[in-house]
Amino acid sequence: MAGPIGTPFGAPRVPLLHHSEPIDPTLWEWLSAKIDHVLGISPGVAVMVLGAFIVLFPIIVMIVAARRRRGMK
Amino acid sequence: MRSDKSLRKGLFYGWYVIAALFFMTLLAIGSRQGFGVFVETWEKDWGVSTATVSIAASVGWLVNGLSQPLFGRLTDLYGGRKVVIPSLLVMGVATIGIASISNIYGLIALYGFVISFASGGVSPATTGVIVARWFERRRGMAMAVLVAGGSVGGLIVVPFMSYALIEFGWRTAWLIVGIAALGLGVPLLLFVVRSRPSDMGLAIDGEESQDSGEAEVVVRPVGPNYVDKWRDSFSSKPIWQLSFAYWVCGITTASIAVHFVRWAVSEDISIGTAALAFGLLSGINAVGVLAIGILSDRWQRKNLLGAVYLVRAIAFISLIVLPGSSAIWVFAVVGGMSWLATVPLTASLTADVYGVRNLGTLFGFANMAHQLGGAAAVILFGWAFTVWGSYDIPFAVGAATLLAAGIVSLSIREKAHSVRYVQVPVGGAAGSELIKQGGD
Repeated sequence: MAGPIGTPFGAPRVPLLHHSEPIDPTLWEWLSAKIDHVLGISPGVAVMVLGAFIVLFPIIVMIVAARRRRGMK
Repeated sequence: MRSDKSLRKGLFYGWYVIAALFFMTLLAIGSRQGFGVFVETWEKDWGVSTATVSIAASVGWLVNGLSQPLFGRLTDLYGGRKVVIPSLLVMGVATIGIASISNIYGLIALYGFVISFASGGVSPATTGVIVARWFERRRGMAMAVLVAGGSVGGLIVVPFMSYALIEFGWRTAWLIVGIAALGLGVPLLLFVVRSRPSDMGLAIDGEESQDSGEAEVVVRPVGPNYVDKWRDSFSSKPIWQLSFAYWVCGITTASIAVHFVRWAVSEDISIGTAALAFGLLSGINAVGVLAIGILSDRWQRKNLLGAVYLVRAIAFISLIVLPGSSAIWVFAVVGGMSWLATVPLTASLTADVYGVRNLGTLFGFANMAHQLGGAAAVILFGWAFTVWGSYDIPFAVGAATLLAAGIVSLSIREKAHSVRYVQVPVGGAAGSELIKQGGD
């Protein structure tokens, strides 16, 4: 059988994320269009902003952890 | 153990471990969730159907479930650090490998088998053990923060992959995420994460010893159900109660995850409204899991777990009894509160009852039950919709199983089994005098 957006039954097209199920592509398309509309930023800027978080978070954690470890010595 | 006064200053190092695991969870779960962003692109590039691409995700679901007891056991034997680092390494290499595949078979092999198998090594079955070894008093909160990493991964990594797809193409998008895992995630884990506080000369929860500087051996109290061999745990009730409830959790989350859109369309609800409801649910579940984490360090965890299942039962019932246009919002709010909260509660309660020695194996089995229950439910819900043309009966079955899970969770005798309430001081559980901290 086919679902309303072309999925066979059992195919994991997932709007509600619990552990690590893939996001539903149709819903994501709609959501990303809305985000684009509201924020009005280009994909390149979005990649830079989100990428900055992904890069900076672990670097900051490593720096503060290193300082903490020095403080423990 | 360190007793230096400097330890009193600053944040307990366990929280840095949580931060590192949070980032790993964010990357690992975010990239697995990001799979859905590429389905349409792969369909066009390879000339295959959605169903064919979905095989990779379906296989991945089962492989991930089956791998968790194995990785849990390895964590119990060798420590979490030796499991999570190689697992993320393999995930990173395989993620980069996806950038070079040219057909669906490569996707099934790399995503369905390699990435999904390795992601069992960075799942709560392994990270939960690390958390449980670092935290006891604030275990629920620490677990909740870690689980929230998955939600944040969906909010950060999925959009990142989507925009990278638009800007650079799908191969580069996967390449970037793989490089991030190898270049940032693995070094972070290597530098920050230790399997247990004693690896850094610290004590659980950042406790300080009252010693005079001489070497000492600290023996943690254990609960009356503590066992040396994990198989012995299955002769007691709590592991069956927790696993049954978690199996129901898998049934109800997976079935909704896959069938939610089809239900919404069958109720004449637009994809846009369903997407907004999804956004609301995501926001609520991130807040809900942190609130439950805080409460679970103060209240009996089994009461919260039972309440979470009963609340989710109400959400399911709302899908049957309310008009679709109202039900979708009630479900988003009520269901959202319960969506992720089962994970830290089940992991913490398993650790409280059986100790951390075999936690990886035991919680790995619970996770496997969760995934297998989910896989079966997805198929059965689809079959039921085909036969009856409505989701009312499957949702009623879901509500009934949730009510059962709620009752079973509430029936766990936490004050008789948990180390939070009954402690065996030294030398193991058998034959020791119990220290009661609370009464039933």
